[in-house]
Amino acid sequence: MSAIYPPLPRPNPMTQFFWDGCKARKLQILRCQACGWFVHYPRPVCNKCLSTELAPQEVSGRASLYAYTLTMQAFHPYYVDKLPYTLAVVELEEQPGLRITTNIVDVAEADLKTGMPVRLAWREVAPDVVLPMFTKADA
Amino acid sequence: MASNNRVAAVGVGYSTTGRKTGLTSRQLAVQAATAAMRDAGMTPKDIDGATMLWAVAGDAPPGLDVVDSMDIAFMLGIGPLNFWNSGAGPAYIGPAVQAVSAIKSGLCHTVLSMRVIRQRLTGAEMLAKDTDTHRVYAEDDFQFVAPFGSISPLQAIASMPAQRHMDLYGTTEEHFGRHVVAQREWASHNPDAIFRTPLTLDDYFASRYISKPVRLLDCDYPVDSASAIIYTTEERARDFAKKPVFAESTAFSSVKYLTFENLDDIIENSPDHCARNLWARTDLKPKDVDCVQLYDGFTIIVFQWLEALGFCGRGEAGPFIAEGHTAMGGRLPLNTDGGACNVGRRHGANFCIESIRQLRGGESGVRQVPDAKVALWANAVGSFSGAMLMTAE
Repeated sequence: MSAIYPPLPRPNPMTQFFWDGCKARKLQILRCQACGWFVHYPRPVCNKCLSTELAPQEVSGRASLYAYTLTMQAFHPYYVDKLPYTLAVVELEEQPGLRITTNIVDVAEADLKTGMPVRLAWREVAPDVVLPMFTKADA
Repeated sequence: MASNNRVAAVGVGYSTTGRKTGLTSRQLAVQAATAAMRDAGMTPKDIDGATMLWAVAGDAPPGLDVVDSMDIAFMLGIGPLNFWNSGAGPAYIGPAVQAVSAIKSGLCHTVLSMRVIRQRLTGAEMLAKDTDTHRVYAEDDFQFVAPFGSISPLQAIASMPAQRHMDLYGTTEEHFGRHVVAQREWASHNPDAIFRTPLTLDDYFASRYISKPVRLLDCDYPVDSASAIIYTTEERARDFAKKPVFAESTAFSSVKYLTFENLDDIIENSPDHCARNLWARTDLKPKDVDCVQLYDGFTIIVFQWLEALGFCGRGEAGPFIAEGHTAMGGRLPLNTDGGACNVGRRHGANFCIESIRQLRGGESGVRQVPDAKVALWANAVGSFSGAMLMTAE
């Protein structure tokens, strides 16, 4: 019987850089080369200046907790023995409103606070699939 | 064209509604459409437009029968059509906005608008499956959310906004419970409601969490159902059986991609944009509204709409509800049919139909809001939504 994995990302030409970066434990976000604006999800155009010159740029991995939920029900077999888990959206320090979806790991429920500083915590969830998760950072 | 080209709703109808009705999409659609024509005292020849939305989200799994607006119209002997649309839009507000817009523009005069729900896909079913390795893959924008376990729409649509609302504004789980209890009280007087047994706060707290703070009782109830509303011009409206109810102001809003995790603001989003336009298109104010029907796919959505529409201040929906204003006898009767948590997920169409029935008067028994002249209903949240203000005069 094969191992059970979470839903896995299926990269496309526009998103391959993101997952390749994760495999190398580098969090990269597409950035406009004309005006410096970060664009996530990956799109072929900058929604600020309409430049089509965008390139991946590594970000610091420092962020703040924007929103979260403790999920108590397994919507996929992978999570049956992992409940509860913390699904979250974090805001990267590089740009107001620049957010990615993630999991918060190794933080007790009572210690979760909207706005708290968090930092990257890489997790390999399947062979060659590394996800950018986050954990509590020192303020 | 007349400057005062108002649009009126003249007929409403539901299909048999239930968890597993065994009815096909066509059968559900026929039941609701014929009920609405009967309600209006209308024949298929009176109708020259059809709008509808079928699926909830994603592609239809094998074995489910999809219907579209042309299919519905022609099997019922309606046609030729001067306008039709089966496309996108958040739940029933989509077909409603399309119907009103098409009539106002003069493209057609009378539209059968429908929402048909045969069965909801689960999040897991919406993910592509690789049959060789038994792995599940997430594509497009979902590749940035599903690998983290954001699989049920509930988590991003409801749980994260609700948790953030609690953290920003001091909203409590009791506030959510007060809404659920008040809404069930309305349902207890609605013979069409599926859940009619009154609830207590203890019942609410005994309901299991799905993804905190959202509990099972915060979720609408998935059912097979079709709903139909017929709109026509003011001039024609007087010819039909029922007292016409008018679309006073309508607004439609889309603010971001459909992955709710990526919204610029997970609490203040399309309802806020929608509400600004809705009020800008009328002289009526929130204080003029006699009853309000707000989409309750999940409890927090009601809170978001109450605040967006200006019925209370930002972050104040919890205390507003706890003070009893939205309950029976309160000053802002809310979800007077019991809401989708209790009448079943009709995806907004129930709120349109309940508004129409309240404004006709005499169709709602003890739930009738005395002398109701203005009703407001709103549908969806987050990335996309819409709302309609309706009047009796």
